[in-house]
Amino acid sequence: MKIFISIIAYIALAPFLGAILSGVDRKITARMQGRVGPPVLQPLYDALKLIEKESLVVRKSQNFYVAFFLMFIIFTGALFFSGKDLLLVIFALTLAEIFFVLGGYKASSPYSIIGSQRALIQMMAYEPVIILSAVGMYMVTKSFYITDIISYGKPLFYSLPGLLFAFIFVLPMKFSKSPFDLAYSHHAHQELVKGMTTEFSGRSLAMIEVAHWYENVLMLGFVGLFFANNILIGIALTFLAYFFVIIIDNTFARVKWEMALMSSWIVGLLFGVGNIIFLFFVLR
Amino acid sequence: MSYLKKSPWVIHYDGTSCNGCDIEVLASLAPRYDVERLGVINTGNPKHADIFLITGSVNDQNREVVQNIYEQMPDPKVVVAIGICATSGGIFSECYNVLGGVNKVLPVDVYVPGCAARPESIIDGVVKALKILEDKKHKLIAMALGTEVLAIEPANIEDAAEILALQKLAYQSEAELYNDFAFPPLMQTLPELKEDFKTIIFFKAVMNGIIIGSVRGYVKDDTCYIYRRIVHPIYQNLGIGKKLMNEIEFHFGFASRFEVFTGHKSKRNINFYERLGYRMFKCEKVNDKRHRVYMEKFADRI
Repeated sequence: MKIFISIIAYIALAPFLGAILSGVDRKITARMQGRVGPPVLQPLYDALKLIEKESLVVRKSQNFYVAFFLMFIIFTGALFFSGKDLLLVIFALTLAEIFFVLGGYKASSPYSIIGSQRALIQMMAYEPVIILSAVGMYMVTKSFYITDIISYGKPLFYSLPGLLFAFIFVLPMKFSKSPFDLAYSHHAHQELVKGMTTEFSGRSLAMIEVAHWYENVLMLGFVGLFFANNILIGIALTFLAYFFVIIIDNTFARVKWEMALMSSWIVGLLFGVGNIIFLFFVLR
Repeated sequence: MSYLKKSPWVIHYDGTSCNGCDIEVLASLAPRYDVERLGVINTGNPKHADIFLITGSVNDQNREVVQNIYEQMPDPKVVVAIGICATSGGIFSECYNVLGGVNKVLPVDVYVPGCAARPESIIDGVVKALKILEDKKHKLIAMALGTEVLAIEPANIEDAAEILALQKLAYQSEAELYNDFAFPPLMQTLPELKEDFKTIIFFKAVMNGIIIGSVRGYVKDDTCYIYRRIVHPIYQNLGIGKKLMNEIEFHFGFASRFEVFTGHKSKRNINFYERLGYRMFKCEKVNDKRHRVYMEKFADRI
């Protein structure tokens, strides 16, 4: 029953939370740039407007893939927030991303194809860190189940500081923020028009937005796992991590894909694998 | 409740502008004026945009680009011409390579004159465009619901063949009236008509996806020349011609004089134009069969 409630709550509330988070992000960004900034609910207005607009389609299947992207993101989030297997969450999330990339490829505009290629490179960059995080959590708590990880007595980041660092390092990729907003972003239009989402408009673009709100909430939930023993402090630290990502977004310029890939692998190798090797010897 | 007003995404295209207006558009997005507080995002992508901001005049090179961007934008959409060059061509209007303002190639909804247009007036123009965006949305809804069946829209070159067929049909009665079957509208070929699309604005009346009426016009020396107002014979006397005239007069609202012509025997056309406020001022012999009656109207200036 409790699982049921958390799934329903996630499906109903996550888009609003995601929209507000994104709105707060735009507000904070504006303030950092000395602007007033849009209302906090602006992302919600944007999505509602997109639903009102005409949907131009290059190929019908592109919208099909985007619908699957949204579906699998919701599925992944539901798995996560109902406390299921972390590995399954990671695989379902990857599958969702793959659907999005396929949608980008299907639209067959040069911009969206370049964006999709970059999205694949980004996946190569962040997937190792995410999987290593799951491995690290398993080593500490002896379980891949999120319910078990949450009920572990001590905060995980005591034993996984390196992995937490590596995870926050690749977080801008998941939020598509600078310096890793290669695949698509609101700010990349000088270079890539809108990357993967170039050929999407109207309802399908709104679907992508909503999927990203779900995804952002899911990723913040993942960050929250590192501080999960105390809910309130955990939530506070998670938002702090989000704020940190916003600061990074406003401080750094976009990097090239080589840099994105190499830096996240090096950080993943040094801090992630290093953390796990360290744990291996300490816990033995 | 429509959210179009709350989240206008703009695409900005710089025609042959000197970059003065261009930089003022960007200034509106920068911290001092910060139009993002109104939800405005400068997208570089026509497929995401609601408002098309154009600075600078139109020439033969960028005409296709401008039209292409406009056609890629999803409905409802509005066009805002920023600066005097985009409004009328400005001091460049007589250059050999300049076609004139944006309204030579696109239906412009809002004009923001100025050299350069100030950010305040650009923001005003965008806010005005929001109202029009909303009206267009209501129109689209009315079309979808069937409460409104007729749409008067700008035509593009892809409509040329359909308009030509309609033109030949609609001018049959005139040709019979004068017993002159070498009538220019009947003799026009498709390549000629397509060529016309480069310099002349066409409007079409669409019902259930079929073009049932059209009108075209251009502006020269502050006079708007409107001609070839055609309506499918079945749909005549339903006020479609009047709607077409209203639309094109609105589009060329900056002109101070409007001129139309028709044949001397076409009493219905003459009466029609008189009801719209046109007065006869000239009659010219075209050939033995036919005289041309010229009619004019001066725009009311407040």
